[in-house]
Amino acid sequence: MPSYIVRRVLLLVPTVFFALSFLFVLFFQLPGDPANLIAGGANRTPDPGVIQRARERYDLDKPVPTQFVNYWKRTLRWDLGESFADRRSVNDILGEHAKNSFRLGIWAILIEIVVGIGVGLIAALRRYSWSDRITTVITAGMSAVPVFVLGFVLQYIFAVYPNKHGWPDFLKLRTQGLGPNTWTFFFVPTGEEWRYVILPAVTLASVTTALVARMMRGSMLEVLRADYMRTARAKGLDERSVIVKHGLRNALIPVVTLIGIDFGTIIGVAVLTETTFSWPGLGSEIARSVTRRDLPVMLGLTLSVVVIYAVASLAVDLSYAWFDPRIRFGRRGDA
Amino acid sequence: MREPRTRSRLVGIAAGLFALSLIAAACSSDDSGNKSSATTEKAATGGKTGGELVDLGTFLGDPPEFLDPGLNSTLNSYQVINELYDGLTDIDASDPANPKIVPLVAKSYEANADATVWTFKIRDGEQFSNGEPVLPSSFSRAWERASNKDFAGDYSYLFNFIKGGKEKLAGTATTLAGVKADDANMTLTVTLAKPYSNFDAVAGFQLFFPMPKAVDSLKDQKEWDKGLMIGNGPYKLAQPRTDTDIVLVRNDKWGGDVMGHKKAILDKVTFKVSKDTDTAYNAFEAGEGDSANIPPGRVKEADQNYGTTLDVNILGSYHFDINQKDPSVGGAKNLKLRQAIDMAINRSEINTAVFNGSRTVSTGVTPPGIPGFKKGLCDYCKYDPQGAKAAVDEWKAAGNSQSGPIKIQFNQGSGHENVVAIMVDNLKAVGIQAVADPKPAETYFSSLAKGSCVLCRAGWFADYPTYDNFMYDLFHKDAIGGNNYSQFDDPKFNSLVDEAKQTVDKAKQGDLFNQAEKILLNDDVGVIPLLWYRGAYVYNEKKFTNFQQTNFGLVLWDQIRRK
Repeated sequence: MPSYIVRRVLLLVPTVFFALSFLFVLFFQLPGDPANLIAGGANRTPDPGVIQRARERYDLDKPVPTQFVNYWKRTLRWDLGESFADRRSVNDILGEHAKNSFRLGIWAILIEIVVGIGVGLIAALRRYSWSDRITTVITAGMSAVPVFVLGFVLQYIFAVYPNKHGWPDFLKLRTQGLGPNTWTFFFVPTGEEWRYVILPAVTLASVTTALVARMMRGSMLEVLRADYMRTARAKGLDERSVIVKHGLRNALIPVVTLIGIDFGTIIGVAVLTETTFSWPGLGSEIARSVTRRDLPVMLGLTLSVVVIYAVASLAVDLSYAWFDPRIRFGRRGDA
Repeated sequence: MREPRTRSRLVGIAAGLFALSLIAAACSSDDSGNKSSATTEKAATGGKTGGELVDLGTFLGDPPEFLDPGLNSTLNSYQVINELYDGLTDIDASDPANPKIVPLVAKSYEANADATVWTFKIRDGEQFSNGEPVLPSSFSRAWERASNKDFAGDYSYLFNFIKGGKEKLAGTATTLAGVKADDANMTLTVTLAKPYSNFDAVAGFQLFFPMPKAVDSLKDQKEWDKGLMIGNGPYKLAQPRTDTDIVLVRNDKWGGDVMGHKKAILDKVTFKVSKDTDTAYNAFEAGEGDSANIPPGRVKEADQNYGTTLDVNILGSYHFDINQKDPSVGGAKNLKLRQAIDMAINRSEINTAVFNGSRTVSTGVTPPGIPGFKKGLCDYCKYDPQGAKAAVDEWKAAGNSQSGPIKIQFNQGSGHENVVAIMVDNLKAVGIQAVADPKPAETYFSSLAKGSCVLCRAGWFADYPTYDNFMYDLFHKDAIGGNNYSQFDDPKFNSLVDEAKQTVDKAKQGDLFNQAEKILLNDDVGVIPLLWYRGAYVYNEKKFTNFQQTNFGLVLWDQIRRK
């Protein structure tokens, strides 16, 4: 197992290198001169002197290969540079936005796990019942509604409407912003904070919760038909043990894979939810850095997202061993 | 300032507290007394002092790029800067029919006969929020800082007005030769590079706001923006700004304004950054804030339910330039075609269908509120499909024909699609083939500057309240390669604008600019004016009163009261 983890971590090095190098090259293919944009060229015609100074200040006057080498030299020293646009340290920007993304992401994932798996399981066990049919319709609907529409509707129902009808404050949820920053143990929203987290977390979780529920249902139905389930019952195990110990653990493998991949997505590219709820996370900051041609921010934040993806994917792989004891890592041919 | 891509950055820059009109300002002024005695506190106040206002409508989309007056080029940041700093001059709008430029931190000022040397007497007792006195050298310090070539922001070109400014910006001089600060006599003398009779308006612009000594010790001047910028305005920063909040608290050391206000009314104003206009409006409706920006589709609803600034004319123009050098639409041979385009467009329909009637149909480029403005300068801006058809026929009779549809260019993703769609239909109805030609926003304006415009969307907001800010910056031959996307170059127009800029007599100056604009609009049809902007703030009128927005788009945050 440890050697497997080491191998996987080492694999991260080329992954990060190629992902960022690709982005670096891609950046210079985007239309528009970054120096022109730094000088404000998106909205007007900047002074050529200002453009030239921007170019010199950020080494954009040097050939791309030189810039590429310099970039990697700096990155290896964990110097992510400073923003072209406002000269803030990318490390600071990363620290601030990653924290916000994690806090929101953790709650979205928890909703996904609890609701998605729960609903999928019930639908599978009560196949073709009314509850199955209703969840099928709801999950299909949820995965079809665009995030910004859902967010907007939730805002209206749980924040605007209660305010217009004079509901007490604790029943009014909040539509935007980070809230009063009253977190306990880093991610538990206490005080007023919970009112700010609920709507974005539900919105962010909505689409994938529906997918998780569908996948859980399908996977469970397949497992329920498996021979070993019949064997377990034949051994005289009670139905609860059959479902939980034998059925659920096996059925969870593809679902956990989906959730693991989704964790990276939720942390790194939740642009729409972050925009709809003015939640300053990593995704919207990366999108903003692209429109501003802010290369250091774009690469610095992407680096963190690549690492999050890789770690989530490693955690998923390792979890297989728990779900299915037949899976072992570390020895060639076993995994 | 060029109209930005998002509504939040919409109103470019404005000179806020300067004049709606310079007509009465002439070239010298004296406030005949101290600031606080100029007029009594506004009548329409009442209500309580103190309290907090949370604004959700100023910063939409991204957090502000800059709050430093030397670097900022957007109106949203200027909303804050204007509360943090006071400049040499200001506007006295106590009589809205007769607004005038008055000294603010200056006690008085005067210009010599040809408006080349301006002398500002600085008021005694003015302080920054840290207790440091505001001296003539506070201004020269700020100007030297903002004209440094390594710092120079978007508006640094304004230092070209000052003698030695060009050299300083180019890096061939270390100081501004035309600026002399005499702290002993509290006098700031400014020698201009050329006569400029509107310099008193420009001198109150944010770029010319004073700076305390603390900026001298900064390693990197851009650090100023990230910390607790010290200013001399009605408010001061409560904490360094973050990506989500800008919090202002009352500055008890403020010297007061020209209206007689001695201190800011509210204790605290918090500007929250919202990533989306609709969400911000939802948040406003959910009671999470006290003011917001009205999303285009919700104008009527906002107007019915809340207080708004929809009735305020903002000094900005939404128009389409026509490239005078383009063979398909430019030149003398296509004049009739350009007239036809102008007459074919149904501006009211665009205003109603796209903007919910929240703008004003324009009759020229220069908007009302700019000194010298005259209504109805444009002969062809009235919707007249019959006249347009006749002009097209005349154009065709002269042997002309369209080799392909006219490309109507616009920066995509900024809500101009619907405007252009109506224009295409309007033109088709009179027999002119046209097609929408969306362009990437990032490179749109720089590409137009290089001459790619055919019939292209543009927009402009006043930087400061002068007619030349529209005529010279957008249509003079000097602006070709810059903001003159029409490639407009009419010698008669150029000489009228040049003459007007140097004319001290305001009535005569206005007349010269009117003549120039008529050439642009009628003789040559170098531009198709469409709309003038109006205010778009909505606020909770049950909680607050005296929520005023100036023609420059600035809200007078320090004068808002709780009910």
